[in-house]
Amino acid sequence: MSAIASLFRNDYGADGFRACSVTGLDVHRSVENYVKLFGLTAVIALAVGGSFAFSVAMTRWEFVGLLDASSYYTHLSMHAWNLLIFWMVFMEIAVLYVGGPMVLGRKLPLRPLATLGWVTMVVGAIGVNASIWLSEAPNEAPLLTAYVPLPVSPWFYGTAILFLLGATIAALPFFATIWTETRDSSRTLPLVAFGAFITGIIAVEAILGGIAAFAYALAWRVDLIATVDPAIYRQLYWIVGHGTQQINLLAMITVWYFLTHVVGGAVVISEKVSRTAFILYLFFINLGAAHHLLVDPGMSAGWRIWNTSYAFYGAAFASMIHAFAIPAGIEAGRRRRGQGGGLFGWLTSAPWRNPVFASTIFSIILFGFLGGITGVVMGQIQVNMTWHNTLATVGHFHATVALGTTLAFFGLVLFVIKTMFRRDFVSDTLASAIPYAYGAAMSVATLMLMYAGILYGVPRRTAEVVRNIPGSEFSFSAAIPIFMIFGLFALLAILSGVLFVGVSVGSLLFGDRLAAGDDGGMLPEGGLHADGGEAIHAVELRGTFTLCLIFLGVFAAVYVLNWYLLTQLWAIGA
Amino acid sequence: MGLARHPVAAGEVIPVSNPLEDPEDDWWNSPVNRRESIWLGLAGAWSLGIFTWMAGFTQFGDQNPIGTTYDVDPDQYQERVGEYKESAEETEDGLVPPDDDVYVGAMRFNWDGLPVVLEAGREYDIHLGAYDVQHGFSVRPEENLNKQINLQVFPGSEWVIPMTFDEPGTYHVVCNEFCGQGHRTMHGRFTVVEG
Repeated sequence: MSAIASLFRNDYGADGFRACSVTGLDVHRSVENYVKLFGLTAVIALAVGGSFAFSVAMTRWEFVGLLDASSYYTHLSMHAWNLLIFWMVFMEIAVLYVGGPMVLGRKLPLRPLATLGWVTMVVGAIGVNASIWLSEAPNEAPLLTAYVPLPVSPWFYGTAILFLLGATIAALPFFATIWTETRDSSRTLPLVAFGAFITGIIAVEAILGGIAAFAYALAWRVDLIATVDPAIYRQLYWIVGHGTQQINLLAMITVWYFLTHVVGGAVVISEKVSRTAFILYLFFINLGAAHHLLVDPGMSAGWRIWNTSYAFYGAAFASMIHAFAIPAGIEAGRRRRGQGGGLFGWLTSAPWRNPVFASTIFSIILFGFLGGITGVVMGQIQVNMTWHNTLATVGHFHATVALGTTLAFFGLVLFVIKTMFRRDFVSDTLASAIPYAYGAAMSVATLMLMYAGILYGVPRRTAEVVRNIPGSEFSFSAAIPIFMIFGLFALLAILSGVLFVGVSVGSLLFGDRLAAGDDGGMLPEGGLHADGGEAIHAVELRGTFTLCLIFLGVFAAVYVLNWYLLTQLWAIGA
Repeated sequence: MGLARHPVAAGEVIPVSNPLEDPEDDWWNSPVNRRESIWLGLAGAWSLGIFTWMAGFTQFGDQNPIGTTYDVDPDQYQERVGEYKESAEETEDGLVPPDDDVYVGAMRFNWDGLPVVLEAGREYDIHLGAYDVQHGFSVRPEENLNKQINLQVFPGSEWVIPMTFDEPGTYHVVCNEFCGQGHRTMHGRFTVVEG
């Protein structure tokens, strides 16, 4: 207990504030402790969900074939809920508290609500886990979606609603902070606080949809209503199903702006452009929920095209803005300090041994190239016919969430260990290895999932199809070599995840305490702020521009390839 | 590419925006870096371009997940598939539909109405519906797994989608929406013969 209590101790002044030796922010005890609480809870969810990554991957790798079908769906549900929802949402509440009260140098208001929110989320999360694990026939494992009318335990819907309510309560102190800061003035919030605010709004929209979907299904499961419409449930469900992924996206981008600045010396090259991109998200990104309904009966083509494109690709355009603005911020910041000449000197001379920096950069690159591009391509209604419910879809969201968001959050957790827990890593070498090992292994595993789906049509959510479809002579055995590579690299990715949890927990328990004023090696060369140098708009952003042109080229190539494969098909549709 | 540089006087402090502090008062009017402006143009053009292609392809393209949907009670749909099966000719390779309408009924864990024998080059109206829970209609020719399509099937909806198979051969149908413990065994077949 004393070890845990010591995690929540720091040297605060009489007013409860201390100055952070890395960010320079005035940090109040109340904010810091709740960030730690939500962050630690998230890491526990990560460890639970990550263990199920092992059993799920080793089942889909039919060479090993770990689980039989009856357990597989249960394990898959545990994997999905703990990683995609609990690990992410607990982290996101922490991100809101950092982006709101911590960046603004305030206490956390409404602390009893933060506690109540945390308790409700924990009870909800344990309840969801228990209802999945204890499901009995005729109830089926819910997977992530719990599509009606497949019978799923009413306890599942009830506890999922509880978790969502808890997350809403936990977000209230953040909104209260923003309200207090802005109601009496025409103040412009710092970009990180602004990003966190937009994230919070998107989160509330998602949560309302989730409560509606699960309450509808729950009412049917407890016989309050006699029938349930699968199409209506899907519409409501995907408000939260996709909406939570948009929370992940916005929280991740906010973290990108934050960490590239603090550990990489990045500046904001244009407040106007970056904020406009967040506003585009606010208006358009939730239309993307339609990505899941593109090959559903009943929806008109016009409805699908308008929504899947976020209204003329308003949100994809916003993402491409961040894709330029964030690396450009690093380039401008470092060029102004005279760090690195030539086209990419600013990048090659960056602090690559700092795992916080490397995690953030790999998150940006891998999210963009693997997750973002595939998301837009598979979100075109025609191409979606070839991606829907294949393993390629699973590849896409592992690129966005397991590579993009999880890597960014790895960086954030390591950063919090140094700056808030004030602990040194147990091993700098092992800590530095985390983003490299995890990024590389998960990238290969993710690519193999995409190939298995798009080149071999291997379906997702099934325990056994590649080597054998029971009762049929047909199988997807041509994809066996792909799965050999997938299985090995999935194992390596899981081991890298173990390394992350090991280094994090090890550093918290056994890491040396950093002395007051020690930046723990987090600050870029030359410190956080560098004065002088040329105006931002005049810095030559040649490196970023080149990288973005490469990105656009890859985007176009993947787009053309997917459309080529599609047009090789027989004629379908009116 | 030569861009105009603004000369900086020695000791002059140029304000720089960072994401942890309030920006300068006139942040909206700060000039945008020229390369960022170019990128905005490229990204905007690409966004509009792919929108136009997707929307246009519904008019001129041959592969669109677009058909007509009717609300139907799952039991009624099952009856309709039953009537269709009675009117179809039974052969060793499967049912030969009496006309251009082909009915497929998805149920745990079977594709009712399959296997079916179709003629290459002939347009059929494929009717998709489910009797119990949601299913996934996933089709590919046996010899070329990368040619495959996937459509969602609901109980309560009858989705009529025209299809023209141009190559003879065996096409395999698997379910790719989780529908219960026997989900992985759900398999059916189209046999496409020369027209």
